[in-house]
Amino acid sequence: MSVTAMNAPTQPGVREKVSDAEWQARVDLAALCRLTALEDMTDLAATHISARVPGEEDRFLISPHGLMYEEVTASNLVKVTMDGEKAMDSPFPVSPVGFTTHSAVLMARPDVNCVVHTHTAAGMAFSSVETELLPISQTSGYFYKHVGYHDWGGLGSNLDERERLARDLGPHRGLIMRNHGLLVAAPTIPAAWVMIYQLERICQTQLEAMAAAHAMGKQVKLMPPEVADKTVESMNRNFRNAAEGKTNFDWEAYLRMLDETDDSYRH
Amino acid sequence: MTAAALRKTPSVKDEVGAEEWALRLDLAALYRLAAKHGMTDLTYTHFSARIPGDEDVFLLNPYGLRFDQVTASSLVKIDVDGNILLDNGHSVNAAGFTIHSAVHMARHDLKVAAHTHTPAGMAISALDEGVLPLTQQGMRFHNRTAYHGFEGPALDLDERERIIADFGTDKHTMILENHGIMVCAPSVRVCWSRLYTLEKSMQAQLLAMASGAPLRIPSEDACEQAAAHMEKGDEAPRNDGWESQLRLLDRADPTWKH
Repeated sequence: MSVTAMNAPTQPGVREKVSDAEWQARVDLAALCRLTALEDMTDLAATHISARVPGEEDRFLISPHGLMYEEVTASNLVKVTMDGEKAMDSPFPVSPVGFTTHSAVLMARPDVNCVVHTHTAAGMAFSSVETELLPISQTSGYFYKHVGYHDWGGLGSNLDERERLARDLGPHRGLIMRNHGLLVAAPTIPAAWVMIYQLERICQTQLEAMAAAHAMGKQVKLMPPEVADKTVESMNRNFRNAAEGKTNFDWEAYLRMLDETDDSYRH
Repeated sequence: MTAAALRKTPSVKDEVGAEEWALRLDLAALYRLAAKHGMTDLTYTHFSARIPGDEDVFLLNPYGLRFDQVTASSLVKIDVDGNILLDNGHSVNAAGFTIHSAVHMARHDLKVAAHTHTPAGMAISALDEGVLPLTQQGMRFHNRTAYHGFEGPALDLDERERIIADFGTDKHTMILENHGIMVCAPSVRVCWSRLYTLEKSMQAQLLAMASGAPLRIPSEDACEQAAAHMEKGDEAPRNDGWESQLRLLDRADPTWKH
């Protein structure tokens, strides 16, 4: 079933104005927005998702400010420069705070092409307690030793924040933003989906394990260091595969699910 | 009145002014959004909105309907003495009337009030810590939250005086201890964004507290600065997703506009 009954605001004629590669990035990024909403990782319209425009290193697409992810489509994503100017006419606003965060990562990390930021309950809770991401599950191997920590620096769109963000993310693929939420920096849009999905579950899992251990007067059980390293190395394959453009089966499966329920993101 | 008739209240659009109708639409949307986000408790808890004018008159939900059955026309127009001013076949819940009339008698700056019994809200209301400025979202309520001790179900109108005294003049949110939460705002859309944000913040705070790890709470100055920044933003809300959410409500079920 193709469900295209959308009443979301859109911008006609975008498809004709952009390259095939940009259009594909737009379709994928819109899909990522929809999946993030379906997995309940939204905070009304307070967070954003971005992707670098293929072949235009200093430009990126960002979710329009004020639209719920359920309304994001390939056409209403906003194309901006690293200076915060719109690189193509768009009736949709860009969040200054969202711009600061996303441009900071994309400027600092040429290997990163997609950035997702969330304010989930588990992400906010994890970021607000004295802990670090621990090797307590196979899943934690997606991010163990590959996540940075960013102290909360107040509210606003202060561009100094970009330097602090770039420094704290360093070479990592994830960032725990203290008292705030989560961020993933991915080589591709499909990889970003797997990463934010898993970082969310890692936070949920560790918080549950910590709570149970604490209640029993115990500590959570860590895997031996050599097993942790082996796990990380194995999970790293996912990211190498993504960077090499290999098929991401998770992404393909989720896209099929989206297309069967509501393919309006493609417009 | 039968269940089907309860849901199909005749339209009052032509019997009320344009301003009241617009308010009815917004308030009905607030009920539907709360239902969508799992903030309901059977047919209990209530959201209200003050009707512009000199008199203390407000809209309250029709007792006996789920939040996802509330429509613009089914909202009950009532004054703070309990007189129903427009007969649409509905009545109100007595405890809801007590709590909401207290707000509308005393705080004319807060035109909208939303009270919930979510598990996170009830849990926070049963903890000494109350709402902490632990997360950026939670800071929105820092120094802006009042506390009111539980007296049993609010069936005694005398409690209004104590709610008013505890609320004071400068807070917009109240933890009803051992009971739930109440979030107020100058408009329906700000009330929704505060209600959603408080709910999410409380869920995060509970997870953080349960972890047993020390909480990282920023300095008082930083928390107050963030709270003031967000309060400033609430004066002219935009890009908060309100219009987008109304369109999504319409896609799913447009009956709230009836």
